[in-house]
Amino acid sequence: MSLVAVGLGGALAAGVLTALAAVVVPRRVRSAVAGTGTVVTGGAGVMAGVGAMTGSSLSVALPGLLPLSGVSLTLDALGGLFVAVTGGVAVAAGVYGISYTRSHGLDARGVQVVFPLFVVAMLLVPAAASVGTFLVCWELMALFSLLLVVAEHRHRPEVAQAGRWYAVMTHLGFVAVLIGLLVFVAHAADDSFPALREAGRHLSPGAAGLVFVVTLAGFASKAGILPLHAWLPRAHPEAPSHVSALMSAAMVNPGVYGLVRVGFDLLGGGTLWWWLLVLALGAVSAVYGILQAAMSTDLKRLLGQSTTENMGLVLVGVGAAGVFATSGNRVLAGVALAAALLHVINHAAFKTLLFLAAGSVLHGTGARDLDALGGLRAGMPQTTAAFGLGALAASALPPGTAFVSEWLLLQALIHGLPAPGATGGTAAAIAMPLAVAAVALTAGLAVATFVKAFGVGFLAKPRSAAAGNAHESPPAMLVGMGLAGVACVVLALLPTLVLPAVGTVSGVALGVGDPAVSGAVTVRLAGVAGALSPLMLTLALLAAVVLVVGAVRVVAARRARRAARLWDCGGGPMSARMEYTATSFAEPLQRVFDDVVRPEQDVDVTHHEESRYLVQAVEYRRKVPDRVERRLYEPVLAAVAAWGRAGRRLATGSVHRYLGYGFYTLCAVLILVAVTR
Amino acid sequence: MNETLFVQLLDLACGGLLLTAVLVLWRRELVVIIHVFAVQGAALAALVGVLAVHEDSIELGAVAAGVLVLRAGVLPYLLRRALASAGEARRETRPLVNVAASLLTAAVLTLLAYAVSRPLVELAPSGLMSPATQAIPIGLTVVLIGFFVLVTRRRALSQLVGFLLMDNGITAVGFLTTSGVGLIVELGVSLDVLLAVLVLQILTARMRETFGDTDLDELRELRD
Amino acid sequence: MSALGIVGGVVQPVLIVAGSPLLVGVMRQVRARLEGRAGPGVGQPWRDLRKLFGKERISPRGTSEVFRVAPLVLVATTLVVAVVTPFVTTDSAVDPVADLFAVVALLALGAVTLALAGLDTGTAFGGMGSSREMTILALVEPTLLVSIFALSVRVGSTNLGAIVSATLHDPVRVISPVSLLAAVALIIVIVAETGRLPVDNPSTHLELTMVHEAMVLEYAGPDLALVELASAMRMSVFLGLLANLFLPWGIASTATPIALLVGVLALIIKVGLLGVLLAAGEVFLAKLRLFRVPELLAGSFLLSLLAVAASFFLA
Repeated sequence: MSLVAVGLGGALAAGVLTALAAVVVPRRVRSAVAGTGTVVTGGAGVMAGVGAMTGSSLSVALPGLLPLSGVSLTLDALGGLFVAVTGGVAVAAGVYGISYTRSHGLDARGVQVVFPLFVVAMLLVPAAASVGTFLVCWELMALFSLLLVVAEHRHRPEVAQAGRWYAVMTHLGFVAVLIGLLVFVAHAADDSFPALREAGRHLSPGAAGLVFVVTLAGFASKAGILPLHAWLPRAHPEAPSHVSALMSAAMVNPGVYGLVRVGFDLLGGGTLWWWLLVLALGAVSAVYGILQAAMSTDLKRLLGQSTTENMGLVLVGVGAAGVFATSGNRVLAGVALAAALLHVINHAAFKTLLFLAAGSVLHGTGARDLDALGGLRAGMPQTTAAFGLGALAASALPPGTAFVSEWLLLQALIHGLPAPGATGGTAAAIAMPLAVAAVALTAGLAVATFVKAFGVGFLAKPRSAAAGNAHESPPAMLVGMGLAGVACVVLALLPTLVLPAVGTVSGVALGVGDPAVSGAVTVRLAGVAGALSPLMLTLALLAAVVLVVGAVRVVAARRARRAARLWDCGGGPMSARMEYTATSFAEPLQRVFDDVVRPEQDVDVTHHEESRYLVQAVEYRRKVPDRVERRLYEPVLAAVAAWGRAGRRLATGSVHRYLGYGFYTLCAVLILVAVTR
Repeated sequence: MNETLFVQLLDLACGGLLLTAVLVLWRRELVVIIHVFAVQGAALAALVGVLAVHEDSIELGAVAAGVLVLRAGVLPYLLRRALASAGEARRETRPLVNVAASLLTAAVLTLLAYAVSRPLVELAPSGLMSPATQAIPIGLTVVLIGFFVLVTRRRALSQLVGFLLMDNGITAVGFLTTSGVGLIVELGVSLDVLLAVLVLQILTARMRETFGDTDLDELRELRD
Repeated sequence: MSALGIVGGVVQPVLIVAGSPLLVGVMRQVRARLEGRAGPGVGQPWRDLRKLFGKERISPRGTSEVFRVAPLVLVATTLVVAVVTPFVTTDSAVDPVADLFAVVALLALGAVTLALAGLDTGTAFGGMGSSREMTILALVEPTLLVSIFALSVRVGSTNLGAIVSATLHDPVRVISPVSLLAAVALIIVIVAETGRLPVDNPSTHLELTMVHEAMVLEYAGPDLALVELASAMRMSVFLGLLANLFLPWGIASTATPIALLVGVLALIIKVGLLGVLLAAGEVFLAKLRLFRVPELLAGSFLLSLLAVAASFFLA
């Protein structure tokens, strides 16, 4: 039996057994059993994914398992990558969940049973090899995650609202994918992926375009891409933190997987405008997502909005790959797709770490609002270190994790300018500079965002009593963060461990023989004169720090360090209220992007009774609403509500009337059948 | 003149044309805008001059001299005189679109100009992709930026500059496509422009006498 | 790793560390003379550094390791850039790091650690400085990367050595519109990144206008010396990059002593000249309001985008 078969079978078995065990074991050990089982499930998933990426593949057909279509699973290299990522996130989240669920009152049966099943469903999505199987797994994934999102609905009313948003949006997305794939299947022999692949070659451009756009809508909504992102910053933060990590780091990836699978593999590449659309959606999502995150003061919401940003960057890579592939430059397309896939991996690593650290903050202080945090470095040093590492990784600075993938992405984009004077390259020539500008603006805003999150949340003085009394999390949570942290460090320093495999995957997905990326210590790109060695960069940086420390020892006076008062303008010790908060930190950016974010501010001045010149109190409120939501969703919701009100006239409460509706409809259908025959 | 030097000089002149157009959009002081406009006139004259030397055409040389006198000398002089009599309103205080946004719009307009003029550039016989036709998009960009200035500025004088910017762009495109539209045509166009400026100048003077300001938004009140 | 690269990797950092305070001294002296003052002399920054290194170390109460480590990281990032960038020699000591994106990101990393240190103090000034610095950094990034795009298109690589060598072999490129537009865009960016007028006033300590000075307000003694040295080094590194990306002449492409001497002298002259021009220009400028800075940066972004467009459509 191959590695893939053992891994996938093991994951399935472990997941289902864990769910069963969680039902029967007593509450005392339930968290530990479910957590350990999830770790085993995730580990087996990683094994299957790595096995598939390194060459072996698996095909299983179980025709009797589901009525009508049956189940067929195939794990190839592309699917393997996503399975491995999901498995890895599940391992960290599983360990973390052991303590987290126990201390947050989440060790009731519901959560503990659903959690491993959610992991199994996510592992199966990339392994599905027929439309029926794919849709079933997709829907299971959505359902289980919905149950987990609403886990805490009794404690906080926002959770229920987030759950409603999520339920509606995810099912709209599901319907879009369903319609798109059914239109596709109508042109094929049966609903298996090989049959679709065959049919994709003969599909008319109109039909192919329709399938692509409709499925794109569904996949984009899963990945939190504009304008279908509204559920993401609601649902991800409201879920329990280890579930947030799993959703934000792993559950958005099937959207990317579906796009690559349908666009490149099944439909065979398509035409230029598809990928320009993907590129544009990605660029807009990246900039808008990070802009919202830069304004945000809720730690977990900020991380959710940053997921939209990162998925936007991934889509920029996928779109660029499509643009290059359709214009014949398949080698560069391989580099762009490798950049996108590497960013999927990197994002999974650092977003897991960040969400787990945010959960730890929630555990230690009970607060998520950055304006109420601060000074956590004293009470929770390990969590601070973990969040710092994650923030460095997310802000695309060397030696952080995302730096490598964004570097790859930029390399692909800059070399994507067609040869000067070449005919027909105008679209690429205009799209590439704008894409580079969007990626650069995103990177810059991401730096500001994570400086804010880390600097305001963890450094400085505590801004509330809760933050002042922060305490470190139990060991299992620290181990979960540690695992994600190690993954971040390894990916940052030695991306070459995974990059050749990722390059091969992207080559296979695009139908190019050679891997797009190679190198042992230095990352080298196929067809592009670019090289980067993150390891050497880090070593050089460390050497320079050591050198500077040594030089300062030699040069500076040998006098002991003395503690002194802060510069307080002679006014006595400064209180925490004088500090810059997250809101004030983001204020200049908010002013600069005033026209884009349209903040709502409100200043109420209460005057003294005796004189208008004496001010008693000034109240200032600021809110940065999601403008897309305002302009796009609210009119739609209002229209739906109006229809609902109009429809109410049909329902008067009379039972006879309702039965009559059924009777008239039945007759109408029968008449229709009789007439049209 | 050898070919590479010709290309470099031509590109430089075009670059100057574009840069000055951007500067008109960027700056608020009307005095500076008029200066920049004069520099653009000189760049346009240089463009025509380079073409003249390249083609050894005396006629084009004469046109270049004419362009220099009119666009770097007479028109800026007239504008300055209009400004001097304007009194206090020396700044474009509140453009309809703020400066940062209008600069970003200019970026988009440039790319648009490049995109739409591709077919025009590729129309040139293959193998003979002359550097002059390559530079057409720049002329078109100047036209679009001029139009944008015309649309978004409030002061009559900066609108006038926008109009002249458009004209500079059109002239540049004319010379770049055909390498000279003929002396007579150019003379006619120049006279037209001169006349237009004179008329507009008188108009602004009358407006100021009547309303005490040249903020064009206030013209709306005439309707009521 | 060639012999030339190793020599460069040793000579360049020494030159930058030793020369950058002098560059600051020259710039201050030029300004002072143009404003009709006598000026403290070119060596004053070095004398200040010596004085500061001789003082005791002071940490404000309530600050953490981040505050103490930030000056070290700031100097270290600049030092790495000084080692890998082709300033004196065309080869780099650590070639896989001599990438324009990596160098830009390293310099940004230095700014970020200082911003974190500013927040770590928990004072209003520190937070204000870091907030403003991060805003400017975020807005500068698009211009910077798009200019890099424009410069690397004609070479087909973002490797600094490759770009410098290509310009060296084809001098006509220097007066092309691509180069000119990218150069103007980069100059504006460098002014913003090094905190010079009209974006930030390095000699002010007026609360409402400070950016960089507000962040480092709590530093004293050797820590302050490191911060001052680092900001002088960043200045030289940025000017050196500007000089060698557009006017690389004189840079050593062989490891002979004469070539190296010429390379060193050429760098000193180029960077010195740029510094003098910058200082002279500052005399005529007033500081922009913080909220007018985006206009300036939007303009420079437009120029860099035009540079890219020109590189495709005019070539």
